[in-house]
Amino acid sequence: MSAIRMRAAWTALLFLLPWLAGFFALVVFPFGASLYWSFQQYDMLTPPRYVGTANYARLAEELVTGERFGQAAWNTAYYALLSVPLSIVLGVSLAVMLSWNVRGRAVYRTIFFLPSVVPAVASSILWLWLLDPQAGLVNYVLSLVGLPGPGWFNSTAEAAWLPAWFAGNGGFGSKDGLVLMSLWGVGNFMIIYLAALGDIPPQLYEAAELDGAGPVRRFRHITLPMLSPVIFFNLVMGLIQAVQAFTQIYIVSEGQGAPAGSTLVLSLYIFLSAFKYLDMGYASAIAWLVFVVIVAVTVALFRTSHRWVFYQGAGR
Amino acid sequence: MNRKRRTTWWAQAILAVAAALFATPLVWMLLTSFKPAEQIAADPHRVLPVEWRAANYVEAVTTMPYFRYLRNSLLLCAGSVVGTLWSCSLAAYAFTRLRWPMRNQVFGVMVATMLLPWHVTMIPRFLLLRELGLYNTLGALIVPTFFGEAFSIFLLRQFFLTIPEEISEAARLDGCSEWRIFWRIMLPLARPALATVALFQFIASWNDFNGPLLYLNDPSRFPLAYGLEQFVSSYSSQTNLLMASAVLFTLPMVLLFFFAQRTFIRGIATTGMKG
Amino acid sequence: MNDALPANRPPRTRRVVKIVLAVGLLLSVAGLALRDDRDPRHQVPADRAEVVFWHFWGGKDRAVVDEIVDRFNASQQEFFVRPIAMPGSNLDLKFFLSVAGEDPPDVINQDDPIVADWAHREALVPLDELATRDEIAELADWLFPAARTIGSYDGRLYALCNGLDVRALYYNADVLAEFDLEPPRTIDELTAAALRIAPPDAKQPHERYGYLPDPRRLWSWGIVFGGSFYDPAMGRITADSQPIVGALSWMASFSHAYGADQVARFRKGDQALPGAAFPLLEGRYAMIMDGQWRAAEITAVQQAARRRGQSPPNYGVVPLPAPPGGKQDAGWVNGNFFVVPRGARNTRGAWAFMKFWSGFGGHEAEAARACAAGGWIPASAQVVAHPKFQAYLAANPMFATFVELAGSPNQVPTPGVVGAQFLQDEVTRAAEDAMYKLVPPEEALRQITRRVQIRMEAARE
Repeated sequence: MSAIRMRAAWTALLFLLPWLAGFFALVVFPFGASLYWSFQQYDMLTPPRYVGTANYARLAEELVTGERFGQAAWNTAYYALLSVPLSIVLGVSLAVMLSWNVRGRAVYRTIFFLPSVVPAVASSILWLWLLDPQAGLVNYVLSLVGLPGPGWFNSTAEAAWLPAWFAGNGGFGSKDGLVLMSLWGVGNFMIIYLAALGDIPPQLYEAAELDGAGPVRRFRHITLPMLSPVIFFNLVMGLIQAVQAFTQIYIVSEGQGAPAGSTLVLSLYIFLSAFKYLDMGYASAIAWLVFVVIVAVTVALFRTSHRWVFYQGAGR
Repeated sequence: MNRKRRTTWWAQAILAVAAALFATPLVWMLLTSFKPAEQIAADPHRVLPVEWRAANYVEAVTTMPYFRYLRNSLLLCAGSVVGTLWSCSLAAYAFTRLRWPMRNQVFGVMVATMLLPWHVTMIPRFLLLRELGLYNTLGALIVPTFFGEAFSIFLLRQFFLTIPEEISEAARLDGCSEWRIFWRIMLPLARPALATVALFQFIASWNDFNGPLLYLNDPSRFPLAYGLEQFVSSYSSQTNLLMASAVLFTLPMVLLFFFAQRTFIRGIATTGMKG
Repeated sequence: MNDALPANRPPRTRRVVKIVLAVGLLLSVAGLALRDDRDPRHQVPADRAEVVFWHFWGGKDRAVVDEIVDRFNASQQEFFVRPIAMPGSNLDLKFFLSVAGEDPPDVINQDDPIVADWAHREALVPLDELATRDEIAELADWLFPAARTIGSYDGRLYALCNGLDVRALYYNADVLAEFDLEPPRTIDELTAAALRIAPPDAKQPHERYGYLPDPRRLWSWGIVFGGSFYDPAMGRITADSQPIVGALSWMASFSHAYGADQVARFRKGDQALPGAAFPLLEGRYAMIMDGQWRAAEITAVQQAARRRGQSPPNYGVVPLPAPPGGKQDAGWVNGNFFVVPRGARNTRGAWAFMKFWSGFGGHEAEAARACAAGGWIPASAQVVAHPKFQAYLAANPMFATFVELAGSPNQVPTPGVVGAQFLQDEVTRAAEDAMYKLVPPEEALRQITRRVQIRMEAARE
């Protein structure tokens, strides 16, 4: 390497130093440490003790029996698999309608976006009140239409679990309340879709119209393919965010996963296992498992993305 | 985008209904924050306050040490914004304007750290910051921002890439040091991007809840987000005060949005587009 | 996208106005924020040693707590207690973080079964390091047996109880009279009364039940049936022992009689009552097990009726009825207690304050006053005997039943084992499985016993 390039590399190192230091101290070290501890019995106060794969064995057992970890995994999956697709559908629909020539676009855009700037702590307080089974606005409106008021954050019901409806005890419960909250905050995603829609060349639509394509076909064959890279991006980021969601869940569940563990999601369970049950090793094992699953899902999504994600030519 | 099509009436109708649904919670929060407690107890569903009671706000900010929490929040936000701008712009510069081996690979690793769930690093991080004596200080929340964070670096890099290489190249030929090019040329040109990053960091710090939950135990050091949650658990029955305090907590974000709409939307759009 | 944004920059003047507005707003906010608005309760005088005190009390209890703190601060010149309310259900979590973070408070008031876990990990200062040898000897007799058990781990006191929570059977006397029933004294009487008030073969779902067991109450019924959840001699969890299986079978018999779904749904209705209202007062039950704090609610309802000129509804309370071979005056008890974390700076101040509040060491009058103000059960017979507290009892006969129970040796807390919180939660889960999913009680209890045992041994190493 020439002296000049050496010098340049050294300069680069100086510029990178803060981030590099942080990378090693706040990412690499913690990462390794938690992997190490996942094979230990550790409570932060007394020295860790090697227990082999006992923590992982416990996870496997609980996954099978559906207890605690199993329950937390189910809750997380339920929340993520419901809130992410629904928010994609809602976000895309709103954005597409806004991209049409409607009156009052700017006002609509502001109204749809505003909820996403409401801090999670505030929106949790607000929704706890809105979804209060007795005094809440939502159940009141439902009662005006003659519908029974669900228990929301007081209930363990799972609306998307269809067998319960057939058995006559279906209803909307705590997790459905959380999904509703997440849909209310869809504005962020909507803005991304709006920006992407603005980048679609108008000629495409004009050409399609000349060919006699109706609105449905134009949406199906132009809008959706052109949006697909952004939808894909939001799908990946949305899943990761949903798995990590914490603040709103902590607040509506009194920090416990109430009622009856129905909002005990993985992030909350890790937190409680570590700092309430003093089980750092076990908590680290869950965290690592979650990480591995996230990576696996992301990789799988990327692998299959070519089948449905439409990438424009190298021009972009 | 500029199609001259008449929009169908149903789209207009759906949008109007959706807008009503999206707006109702905030309107309801605002209205409830002005209702007297007796009204909420007796008739929680009446839309308008029987009497507009601004005293709710006075009570909310006196029942909890609101202004102390606010001060802590502002300190936290200011410190984190400075930290993020400093560390992330340096790194972004190195990732765009400097040439060094394995640059793209390292950049890929950095982007990958965005996928890391925070709870994997939570426990060791806690121990590390404790060793630095930062437990129970706002420093535990501010100091890490001085060491860069992938999302902001990424955002800044995307913007730096749009600044023509020739400008810094010319300065380099004139004998400018990299530091001067960075400080005197890049940063002033990147002002809109810096504003975006600053804005996002401000919001993130304002909203941060896990941080104080983990690291702070003295109420005189709580920022608003956490102080508010403590307030909620002890005054859960006083809905009007809760709503008033939630409004006070949300208002700065809403104002920020109206003042900095362009910065906001540019930032969000960039993250989505170039991902 | 771009057409949605104003294409041109706003005119210069508008920008200036915006900036001026923003700066003005920022300055005024900053001005307000920088004002020192510390609670005077938090201003520690220069000549006093600060005692940082955490507690979880909220609502109207917080005023009582603040009052005790003020009295303590006024009672002497050396220490100044700074109370910090840590509301929410995760006080133990914050406490643990503060110990792990090496910046703990000086003293903390708690009610979760954490003594064994923290003592085992040496996170607590044992009381014998705070008190003199004479004080420790005296304390053993001074405390109620249950209070002593709650504060001990491995034969050593780590926590000083200041109050006990005791449970008994409340009943609606008017409903019992309507069905020509007496308050039950045995389990069989209770079962018969429950089934007479709400016959299981009724066509309609009941709006009111005679009695329905709550899964959480397996802790109480297990003890009443003569069971014990832990065998200290063998170091074994015994949650699957015969009396406890018997208790859970009896509890599950209600689910078999009424249908598990119906019981579960009715229970959910209890939890959905606004403001955690007392289901007994809502007319949902004729009999229900609950703690002493409900006595005040009943009294309030009766007084309100009298004020309206109506005849007050009649309620009463009896000790939990026992089966043959079970235990009298028995039940599950928990306590509020003080602990001093390792790393506390002002342990002397902490000990002085603990004694002041709990009433130990000649402070009985102070404790009696606090317990009467808060409607709390003292941790010592000496405080109960104090005239101030006796006057309170005379005025609140229903509450007095609980105070009598508090001294019973059959009032047993969650065993002081490592992992007690886990044990407590798991036993409740087993009861839920047996009652709501109709898992056979033996099996439900055997499963959790095995699991807790493994966890306990792993943590105890």
